[in-house]
Amino acid sequence: MLKPILLVEDNPNDLELTLIALSKSQLANEVVVVRDGAEALDYLKRQGEFASRAVGNPAVILLDLKLPKVDGLEVLKEIRQTENLKPVPVVMLTSSKEEQDLVRSYELGVNAYVVKPVDFTEFVRAIADLGIFWAVLNEPPPGSRRYVKPK
Amino acid sequence: MTQASPEQLDLSACDREPIRTPGSIQPHGFMLTLSPALEVLQASANLAQWAGMDAGEALGRPLREVIGEPAHARLALELGSGTLGARPLYLGTVTMENGRHFDVLGHAWDKLVIAEFEAVDRPRPADFRHLYPLISDFLARVNEHASIPALTDLAARHVRSVTGFGRVMVYQFDPAGHGRVVAESKDADYESYLGQSFPASDIPAQARELYTLSPIRLIQDANYVPAPLLPPHNPVTGKANDLSFAALRSVSPVHLQYMRNMGTLASMSVSLLVKGKLWGLISCHNTSPRPVSVEQRTACEQLGQILSLCIESREDASELQFRLEVRRIMVELLGHLTKGSDFLENMSGVFPELLRFARAGGVAIVADDRILTYGDTPDEAAIRALSTWLAVQGHVEVFHTSHLAAVYPPAGAFTRSASGLMALPISRIHKHYLLWFRPELVQTVEWAGNPYENKIAAPNAPTQLSPRTSFAAWRETIHGHSLPWHSAEIELTTEFRSALLGIALERAEQMAELAEELGRANKELEAFSYSVSHDLRAPLRHIVGFSDLLLESAGTEDADRRQRFLKNIKESARLAGKLVDDLLSFSQMGRAALRPTAVDMNDLVSACIDKLGIDIGQRNVDWHIDHLPTVQADPSFLHLAVYNLLSNAVKFTAQRDPAVIRIWAEDGPEEAVFHVADNGAGFNMDYVHKLFGVFQRLHRMEDFQGTGIGLANVRRIVERHNGRVWAESRQGEGATFSFSIPKSSPTP
Repeated sequence: MLKPILLVEDNPNDLELTLIALSKSQLANEVVVVRDGAEALDYLKRQGEFASRAVGNPAVILLDLKLPKVDGLEVLKEIRQTENLKPVPVVMLTSSKEEQDLVRSYELGVNAYVVKPVDFTEFVRAIADLGIFWAVLNEPPPGSRRYVKPK
Repeated sequence: MTQASPEQLDLSACDREPIRTPGSIQPHGFMLTLSPALEVLQASANLAQWAGMDAGEALGRPLREVIGEPAHARLALELGSGTLGARPLYLGTVTMENGRHFDVLGHAWDKLVIAEFEAVDRPRPADFRHLYPLISDFLARVNEHASIPALTDLAARHVRSVTGFGRVMVYQFDPAGHGRVVAESKDADYESYLGQSFPASDIPAQARELYTLSPIRLIQDANYVPAPLLPPHNPVTGKANDLSFAALRSVSPVHLQYMRNMGTLASMSVSLLVKGKLWGLISCHNTSPRPVSVEQRTACEQLGQILSLCIESREDASELQFRLEVRRIMVELLGHLTKGSDFLENMSGVFPELLRFARAGGVAIVADDRILTYGDTPDEAAIRALSTWLAVQGHVEVFHTSHLAAVYPPAGAFTRSASGLMALPISRIHKHYLLWFRPELVQTVEWAGNPYENKIAAPNAPTQLSPRTSFAAWRETIHGHSLPWHSAEIELTTEFRSALLGIALERAEQMAELAEELGRANKELEAFSYSVSHDLRAPLRHIVGFSDLLLESAGTEDADRRQRFLKNIKESARLAGKLVDDLLSFSQMGRAALRPTAVDMNDLVSACIDKLGIDIGQRNVDWHIDHLPTVQADPSFLHLAVYNLLSNAVKFTAQRDPAVIRIWAEDGPEEAVFHVADNGAGFNMDYVHKLFGVFQRLHRMEDFQGTGIGLANVRRIVERHNGRVWAESRQGEGATFSFSIPKSSPTP
């Protein structure tokens, strides 16, 4: 079984576009969607409403930089400071090319920093490349289930 | 040669009098000048009187033949050894063949060996031992942290007990050279001079110079008849003998007349040298002639040296203390001066410290045409004229005087407030001055005799020397003078000036920093514009993305999907438009000038609620609005802030029926505080610090639509009014947003 991809995205439009892009990439991985930083950490640490989820880390985390409450950088920092989460690849997915965001992300140990292209075709290709690059290199974890938080 | 009669002396030449080369000695002993081989080159004319041989007969003969074998045997070794220095050394006491006893002093000076023979009554050598207790007693007391007056008093008493003079005084010289009696020890029948002043002319310049070189001088009998040296000129140099260090050196006839006028027939002076300068004298008087033996003189000399050292250390200590205090005030001053930006305002803010700094009575700041004063100063017109005069003088450093009218006659009109002036030019370019004024210090000087007597008595006969004849106390009241400026005050003022320039430089640096800050602001603006493009790019991307998807799905039957894509596109376009508007208003917030006026908050709130009508639609909103105070604020900006808060309240109560929104205020003396409370969704207090940041949202887009700029706008508006903004909430139970508007006018 493939490990899931964790998508952290608050903007419903971006979420829909990303999910479409991922589906276009023909990746078999399940996509777990959480809607803000706090939820992402709950999922990763198996706490709160995710306390009973199956053990195992996602293949890759696609993390939006600007999130309500706990933002992407804070989530990234927490991941890198948590022993069993450290090795999980994190891709920062953002509209911002702002230098300080980039610098800070790399300082905090991001694996990739992807600026969402405005052009949709390019957007789809970028997401697909990401998914293949990060998700396909990993052994599929057993018993993962697709989870999309209901609205 | 006899004593010069007063008529022959030229008063104007008084300070040129050859006191070092008088050509004669006092006759209480005799003098021989010798070659290194101890051959007599010169002898004083009174040689026969003491040694039984005519001076002329002695010339060219070996010393042995003049003073006899035993005396020669006693002295030859030291006189001939070539080891004598410039200061007379006591070589011993000898007895001549005629039975007379002499203390012998030798020194090498003016290319001669000078041997002085002072007649004494005792055959035994001078005994210094009994003087040590006196000195050690003085030393013991000196260590008791005595003040200078106490020390001088002690010294006067000791010198009198050592020498037996009828009156011993300690003089201190002021900067002008006038001497004042600061301590005195005397017999009951001597007149007191304590506290009186003696004019500088009493001790002419060359006498002072000699006092500095040679620390003791004795005149045993003012009625003495000097014994000239024969031959009258130094055979080696061909000039009059330099007797600077000779104990028997004859003194100026003018001085002897002065002594006789004063009723003093014997006198001795011990120099007090502090840091190489003549600080004062221990001056001894006696109404009758008085010999002072070499050991007594030595004791007095040592006492003088110890006293000098003590004075030096006390003066150093008090000087240091004084400097520390002035410096402390200066540092305090500078601390204040670095704060504000306006120099004049800053300076005038520290007027009291400025006064204390220079112990002044008044202070003025002149900056071109502006004049600010504090304390007791001349009037503005006078200060303006004075600063013009200063500018014309071209002083670039500190100018100071304790007698302004002497250099600037118009100051005679305001001597009361400004007899003393210290002026600090604070700009090399502009006519800017800091002026300190010291009031007139009316001084009564009690002179020991009218120092102006001569000038008054013989204005047309300046060549006529007439030494003062009266020493009766004569009071003079001195006007137009202030307390003199202390060297520490002058020096620290110079330092103060460089510190001021430093502050000016720092200010320039601050300007540079400001420029840097502007640069930073520009960068912020860049970052801001990037954020703009970021948040603007998202809806743009959505529009493009969903349009593409719409085209892609054109052939499919999924109508719902197409409908949703269309809705997304429309929403994204609307959001983009709103973002542009909000960002525009936010960026204006930082730049636009505030136009504060009285704003009735009741009117403002109802206008905002009217505007919210469309957003509210058919919803059920209960408004509870207290009576609100009027504030000083920019009405349009404040309207935007309140509108944002009310709009937030409306937005986050969307799921409530009814929505309850309360608005009330607390009107305090310093500020008015406004609160907007709702019963809506609220927010997690953990993220309250992000609440007012740009593009920060604590809720998901689809839950509560917003650009994430509204609250940032509120904060910026309130802060520009120098107010504060804060919020409190319990998640799920509503939120309260508060802001304050100070009563003082906002920064325009």
